[in-house]
Amino acid sequence: MGLPSGGLTTTVFYVIFTIILFAVSFLWAPRIQAYTALNDVKKNLEKLQVLKDASRREAIGYVNTVMKSSKDAQARVDQFLEYFTIMPVDLDPNGIVGKIEHVTRLQDDRIRDELKALSPGADPVQISVAQNILEVATSLNMIFKIVRHFYIQGQKTKSYFILVQLQMIMPMLVQESEALMSAVDAFKQAQPIGDGLGPMVAGKLMVGKEKVTVERETVYAVTEYKGRKLFVLKAEGPMGTVGRPQVGVEKIINDPNNKISTVIMVDAALKLEGENTGEVAEGIGAAIGGIGVEKFRIEAAATAKDIPMYAIVVKQSLIDAISVMKKEIAEATDKTIERVNRLVEEKTKEGDTVLLVGVGNTLGVAQ
Amino acid sequence: MAQMFPSIGEKRPKMPVFTIEDCPQCGTKTKRAFKLGDFVYREGGECAKCHAKTIISMIYAELIKVQ
Ligand SMILES: [Zn+2]
Repeated sequence: MGLPSGGLTTTVFYVIFTIILFAVSFLWAPRIQAYTALNDVKKNLEKLQVLKDASRREAIGYVNTVMKSSKDAQARVDQFLEYFTIMPVDLDPNGIVGKIEHVTRLQDDRIRDELKALSPGADPVQISVAQNILEVATSLNMIFKIVRHFYIQGQKTKSYFILVQLQMIMPMLVQESEALMSAVDAFKQAQPIGDGLGPMVAGKLMVGKEKVTVERETVYAVTEYKGRKLFVLKAEGPMGTVGRPQVGVEKIINDPNNKISTVIMVDAALKLEGENTGEVAEGIGAAIGGIGVEKFRIEAAATAKDIPMYAIVVKQSLIDAISVMKKEIAEATDKTIERVNRLVEEKTKEGDTVLLVGVGNTLGVAQ
Repeated sequence: MAQMFPSIGEKRPKMPVFTIEDCPQCGTKTKRAFKLGDFVYREGGECAKCHAKTIISMIYAELIKVQ
């Protein structure tokens, strides 16, 4: 192309212009990027706020209209949303699992008792539903507040690195928040959620059998399959609870009359992108999620008696796990029971006793 | 490792929820819209064929494609 013709002035102007352009893009590039990141984060932050407010309204609405709260629940719900749990110190980790369990149980009991006091007429299912909705609202509130914190900090410091980190994780946070929000629909109507697969498998084997309450919100029944005695354990439905399977497993394993030879755990598992929803997979170990307390205690109980643990999981995405159960997952129930039967036939002999645990939130699934 | 990058999943459109009732006598399955108060393994209505008590075996959401 060459330099533009038109004399010295134009050439000088052209050179100066190029230098300024260079200077601007070199010196201010981080600023410009920070500015775009800031805008991007702001847009997503607004989305998070909408979700947070919607979940709060749902929680208040549920307590007021469905549970017929004796007084307006708005102020109480707002307090619930700000409840925090101080995790035990882990400087000396010996015995920390017990402490974590103690603290999380306390939190759980507190909200339940206060909900009960707020609406004395509500049934246990409604209270568990309100607890689940409150959990969603608390999570969304927390996500929003943390993101807002870093947004304001980025704004104040104009720090490109704070903002760009935030910008990178924002799409995932928004997706996760939307997933949480979609769970509220299922909770409100007490419909089974994807995570309820474990209880559905266990429940199917327990129908018509005598149920024994082994621990709060945790029940088991004894059944039989091809000469083997089967203890089937699950959370007590149709409340929205995961129960305390770890205590149930401990009690059943440690009862000398039971002589458990094998433990089989059924749970929902988060799938990787590309895997099919409702796919059944088998493995070894304690199939149970959560903070780790349940897993620890179940592993300890099984290890102490040298009992093998088999796991069967059904794959699903996060959103599938917390919203109304999809057809593919519901239909995986029978496939999972077939796998359980095959495992029992292969890994045990007649006269053995097997413990089957259906892990998950049993909302909308009885036994 | 798999737990570290789980799939969040696709945005779900509003899907209608169905209740499936199984008849323990003749094995007939009835599919109907979900009603408030339904839960899995609860007693359902009467079987249309043999009038036995049915049991709710499944409650699920299904995407209905409109042709
Ligand atoms: Zn029938």
